[in-house]
Order: sequence, then C-alpha cells, then structure tokens
Amino acid sequence: MSAIAETQPAVETAFAGPILELRKLEKRYTGTHALKPADLAFETGEVHAIVGENGAGKSTLIKLLTGVTPRTAGEIIWKGVPTDLSTPNEAIALGINAVHQEVVLCPHLTVAANIFLGDEKTSPGGLLRDRAMVRDAQRILVDLGFALPAGALLSTLTIGQQQLIATARAATRGTRFLIFDEPTAYLTRQEAAQLFALIRRLKAQGVTVVYISHRMEEIFELADRVSVLRDGTLVGTRRVSETSDAELIGLMINRSIEQVYHKDPFTPGAAILETRNLSGRGFRDVSLTVREGEIVGLYGLIGAGRSEFVMGVYGREPTTGGEVLWGDRPVSVRSERDAIALGMALAPESRRDQGLCLNLGVGHNLNLPVFDRLTRGLTISGRRERAAADKQIADLRIKTASRNALALSLSGGNQQKIVIGKWLNHGAKLFIFDEPTVGVDVGTKAEIYRLFGALLAKGAGILLVSSYLPEVYELADRLHVFRGGRQIASHGHKAASHEQILTEAIGV
Amino acid sequence: MTDTASTLGAPKTRFEFSRLLGLTLVGVLLAMFLFLAWKTSTFATPGNISNLARQGAIFAILALGQTFVIITAGIDLSVGAVASFITVVVAMLVQGVAPGVAAGLTGVGLPEAAANVLALWTVILASLLLGMAIGAFHAFGVVKMGLPPFIITLATFTALRGVGLLMTNGSTINVTNDAFTGFSRGEVLGIPNLFMVVVVVAVPAFVYLHLSKWGRYLYSVGSNPEAARLSGVNVNAVTATAYILSSLCAAIVGVMLASRTGTGNATQAIGFELEAIAASVIGGTSLFGAIGSVWGPLLGAFILATIRNGANLMNVNSFWQYIITGVLIILIVYADGLRRRRR
Repeated sequence: MSAIAETQPAVETAFAGPILELRKLEKRYTGTHALKPADLAFETGEVHAIVGENGAGKSTLIKLLTGVTPRTAGEIIWKGVPTDLSTPNEAIALGINAVHQEVVLCPHLTVAANIFLGDEKTSPGGLLRDRAMVRDAQRILVDLGFALPAGALLSTLTIGQQQLIATARAATRGTRFLIFDEPTAYLTRQEAAQLFALIRRLKAQGVTVVYISHRMEEIFELADRVSVLRDGTLVGTRRVSETSDAELIGLMINRSIEQVYHKDPFTPGAAILETRNLSGRGFRDVSLTVREGEIVGLYGLIGAGRSEFVMGVYGREPTTGGEVLWGDRPVSVRSERDAIALGMALAPESRRDQGLCLNLGVGHNLNLPVFDRLTRGLTISGRRERAAADKQIADLRIKTASRNALALSLSGGNQQKIVIGKWLNHGAKLFIFDEPTVGVDVGTKAEIYRLFGALLAKGAGILLVSSYLPEVYELADRLHVFRGGRQIASHGHKAASHEQILTEAIGV
Repeated sequence: MTDTASTLGAPKTRFEFSRLLGLTLVGVLLAMFLFLAWKTSTFATPGNISNLARQGAIFAILALGQTFVIITAGIDLSVGAVASFITVVVAMLVQGVAPGVAAGLTGVGLPEAAANVLALWTVILASLLLGMAIGAFHAFGVVKMGLPPFIITLATFTALRGVGLLMTNGSTINVTNDAFTGFSRGEVLGIPNLFMVVVVVAVPAFVYLHLSKWGRYLYSVGSNPEAARLSGVNVNAVTATAYILSSLCAAIVGVMLASRTGTGNATQAIGFELEAIAASVIGGTSLFGAIGSVWGPLLGAFILATIRNGANLMNVNSFWQYIITGVLIILIVYADGLRRRRR
C-alpha cells in the first residue's frame, strides 16, 4: 500500500522525478515467468536496494535494465522518454551500467587499460598513450579513495580489488544509473567500506544506484528505498527508514515454510560415509558422518570451502590429509570413477559448467552415468536407451519437447532436474547435492525436496551444500557450518537459531 | 507437450533434421554427378568413376579420423604429415624388410606365394601400429602435458616431415613390389580396392561412434568435459582414443598412398590435413565439438573429390578448384549455422 503511495507522486512530477520508470515490465522464458508485470520508478540520486530469494527475478531485472535480454512486454521510460533498451550498447549510451558479482574485465591487461577499455586515449597518429592513461587512471583511483596501482596487471589484484576497479570503471563513464549485483560477496570489510564510500559519493553526484544484496545490514546502511521481489513478482517498495528486517523478510518469504520443506522423520541407519580430519585445497580438518536416511547440511558463505570439501570427497580434487571411511572401511578415492564405483553421486554447483552437456540431448545427459549398463556386447541397445530416458523424463516430470531436445533449450529448473535425475537410476548410496535449488522456482524446489525424501526412504544418505539458510536449516538432520575452509560448528536439526548460524558463518 | 504422442513424435523431427542435412549433401553430390554427366562425355565412364572413387577414398578416411578429434573439440593438423611419413616407412619396409621376412617364412616351410603375402601384411601392420603410436604421442601431449591440440599436432606436422626427409635423405623411395602397388589398382566385383578400404574403415567407425557407449562418451567430452568427468566418464582415455584413431586413419591413408603412387616420400601428403578438415566441416562437423557423424565427412570428401575431378574434365583452370572449394565451405557451413540457430 505504501509502495503505491510513494511511487505515485513521483510519476506525476514525471521529469524532475524518476530517472527510470518501469511500466508493466514483464519477462517470460520458455517454461518460466521470470518477471511478472512490474511497475517501479527509480528517483534520481537515490540508492534503491532490491532484495529477494534466489530465483526471485533479481537477475532477470538486471538483464532487462542493462539491455542484455529483451523484455516480453511493458515499457521502460528513461527520463520521461520511452526507450527500447534492447542492446547493452544502448544501455551504456544512456548511462546505465552494472557491476557484477563476478568481475568481467580483462585479467591480462593493466588496471589503467581496463579502466579505459573501449575508450582509450590515443595520440593524433592513433597510437595508444599508455603513460597518460596510467597517470589519469591513478588520479581517478586516488580520487575515489582506492589505494591501488594503475599500472599493475589486473590479475595481480585480489577479486575484491578487481571488483573496486570494475566499479571505478563504471563510475568514470558518465554513468547516471549504476546497478550493483551483490558486490560485497567477495570483498573484505575494508574493501566493502571503500565501496560504500564510493556509492555515497556517486549518490551525492546525482547518480542513481540500484543495489542488490542478501545482506540486510548493508541495505539499512546504504539504501533510501528497498523493493522486494518474490517468485518473479514485485511485492512491494518501502522507504528504508519506515521498514524493518522482519517486514522485509516477511515480504520475501510469505509462505508457509513447512509446505516447501516437507520432510518425513527418519531414524538414521548405519554410517555410509565418514571423514576424519579430511584436508585438501580450500578446506582443513573436516570430520563428519552421513548415515542412511539422513541429510547432512553444509552451510557457509560463498568461498567457505564447502564445495572444495565435497569435491575432495568425490575424488575430483586430491586430498592432502585425513581419512575417508565408506561404511566402516577406510577407502582411498582418487578419482570421480572411484567415488562412483563406491556408490557416490554428485550434482555439482554449476549446472552449465559442471552439470550438463548443454548442446547434447536431454536423454543423452540423463543416461550419461549409465551407458555402461545400457550396453549389450559392443553396442548400446537403442530400445533400452530410449526407454530409460523416457522413464526419467516422466518420473521427474521434466518439461521438454522430447528426449532429443538439447539440454540448453530447457528452463533452469528442468535442467537442474536432469543434473540430479541422472543419478537416480544409478543406485548410489550417498548423494552429494551442491546448491541444488539455485535459480529454480518454488514449485521445482518442492519437487526436488520430495525427491530427497524418496532417496532417504530407500536408505540413501544426502550431503547437502547450500548457501540458502532456510533450506539447510529446515532439511538437515545435522548441520555443519563452514567458514574459511574450516568446520566452525555443528548443530542438530533446528538446534540453533538462524541468527546464531549466520553469525558463525560470517564470523563476527 | 507432455503427452506421450508428441514425446514420441518429436524425436523424429530432430532425426529428420539431421537426415535433411545428409540429404542436402547427397543432393549436392548427385546434382554434381548429373551436371557432369550431362556436360562431359568423359565423366560417366567406368574408368573415371573408379578413378573418382580412388581419389575420394584417400580423403574420406583422413576426414573420418579427423572427425573423431574434432568431436572432442580438438584438431589434428598432423594427418597429412603422418600419412606422408607412413608412405616412407611402409616403402622402406616393403623394399628392405618384407623380402627377408618372406624368406624366413619359406624357410619354415610356407609356400612362397603365401609367405610373400604374409610378409607384406606384417610390414603393413607394423606401419599402422607406428601410426597409432604417433597418435598416442598426441594424446600424451594433450592429456598429460596439457598442450593445446593445435600445438602438439602442429609440432608433429613439422617434425615428422623432418624425420621422413632424414630417413630418405630427401629423396623418394620407389616401391618395386608388384603385389603391394597392384592393390591400389585392383578391384573387387568392379569396386576399386581403395574404395573398399573406406567401407572396411567406415563400418567399425559407425559402430564406435553411433552405436557404442564410447561414441556417446566422445560427444559428452566434446560438449562438456567437466560434466562428463563428474558423471564418471574417463575423459583422458576417451580423448586419447580420438587422437589414436585419427593417426591410425592417417597411417592407413599412408599405406594406400604408397601403394597408389608406388613411392615413399616424406612430403607427398602435406596439405591433406586441410582437405580433411574441410571435408569434415562440409560434412556437418562442428569445430566447437560434440557435433559430427561418420557419413558427414565421407560425403564431404567425395564432394571435394568430385569438384576436383569435374573441374579437370571440364578443363576448368585447376586454380579455380581452390576457389570453388573455398566458396563451398563458406556456403555449406553458413547454411548449417542458420539451420542450427533456427532450431
């Protein structure tokens, strides 16, 4: 209600007011309604935070605002004039820029070359004026309060520093509208403070800042207003001074948690996997046990060492110390094939990079771990291959044109079902799910959780890596908190509060 | 969209798509045949057709081997050099070693004719094994040393030429064994022996690529090696197989060439690698990996051979052949890209 009350006057004063206005902006992908018609006006010179769960539509909104993806319907109005905004160049020409969580710059060029990339200083003869660029870049950096060398190669900087360079680059190009997508995920506290100082400076210069973050405290520190997205719907906009954590979280969730995280109680059986002081690159001294019928959750921030740990267990990366027991037998897992032969299965963190052969068929992807078993003599039985694929597609309710449709033609949720589903016929005992619900809608989430239940009922154990606290909190029988590659704490099912777990993970 | 009828119906559409491309290529080939038969009196003669079959066979086998590597998103620049090198090796063995082996075999009581044949097969087999060893070296470079396929095969491309020239002192070895050189001129039931070799190679290649799990793994590795690895595919072994098969095909071509030209020469097939890549790409193989077939490169090779043959018969300046081939590559690959994007 207050959302409307607030945006309405701004619309009426049209020109002086909103720099960018969305009217019934909408985006559909095949199979998903990523953004339902949204009305929103961004004031000139405000810091506007956008919050929402994973998959709520934040990245879709950024892609629409930066011209990366075309909208399905609706209008985008820039300073009172309707605009196409259908290409990234158009967005940049208007003065819309984005700083992404992952740095998209050239690591082999200098800091200065990156800052001036596409806008290089040249001599009348067309030659690059390298020294002038380094000098000017250094001045820009000093002005912004970043003590970083302009002549250094970008790759010699930390990820956090590179993020600051990306911000500096965006800030120096006549940007009037700057979007930050979870900028502090990889930053140290000091770097984050520098970034905040820069954002305040930009705001003072009249630049509109859109700030996307999971971190409530940052929003309350920086933002003037905050909009909440939920399952592709813009559910409300609030003035930060007039709202609270609780209200925002209420808007973000607004559904019965039990409905989604349904979990039948099981009595855990014998141990399937045990690690004793397992160490490797990115994690140290991890000791935990997964038993039959049990979900063991690994919670932590990005880079806490959870994925590295499960990759070590799965034999993808070498371990440097400690023991792995399978049942009660010490084993040495040297490769993924060793792990699979024991009875492990892994659904990796990144669907596109690790989970799927995107330009191959759905059936091919689903059968990849079991081609061995579909083989009779020298050749694969075509009939069995087709039957196996069709059964999986039906059982998992994968929405696809056919088993031969390419994996890349499916929506994120259906792709994720392939990544998980390909192991279901394999008969594994231990399932490792690394961020299984990132970027999937609530309905698919519920289906994936139901799948967990079916696996547990068959006596399997699950190792669940997640950065989404409610998920691991509700589902895990045992929850291990990771920070900086170490196992910081372990809790029973719902034995600790959200606040306590988050505090342990952040380490304040 | 989820009912069974369309789930069962849809795969056909995709199959027809790939068959359509196949038909396009067959159509191009047939159109060229008809055109040449109409325009020249010399094309549709048994002599010319079997000549065409022999020419096409050489490139068809090279292109087929190349296709395995390209499906893994790699490239094998060495196939021309390997084929040339093998002509030298097999020529030397036929001239220098085969008579000794034959004499030894007759010594233990084998009839002379059988001993000669057996000795010939022994040296051919040895040459093919050497070819596979070269492929294994490429695999070692790619899998264990982590070298880009372009680099390791470029290295053998130049180095093998040097080895071959050193072995022959830069000269050409003439093969005087009539049984060996006669093979390339012979035919079975009117079909040239060299073309029969294509069949002998293509049938197991089809089983490997399209019917076996190893073929499925090859596509998976070409599409996303990390996903294949995490799904339990032995990515290194699968990749190595592709390079070994490519060099084996090149070695087979080397033996065929030595038989056809009656010479061993360390440079006679240099340049064939680009023909092989072109034939493979015309046949629908994607240089980005994971897309390709057995019949594609075979058709591509015979299309290229027909252009060359036809241009000769029509007294087109032979330099035009190169230009026509270049234009054709662009057109076919562009049309293929359009088709893929539409899908």
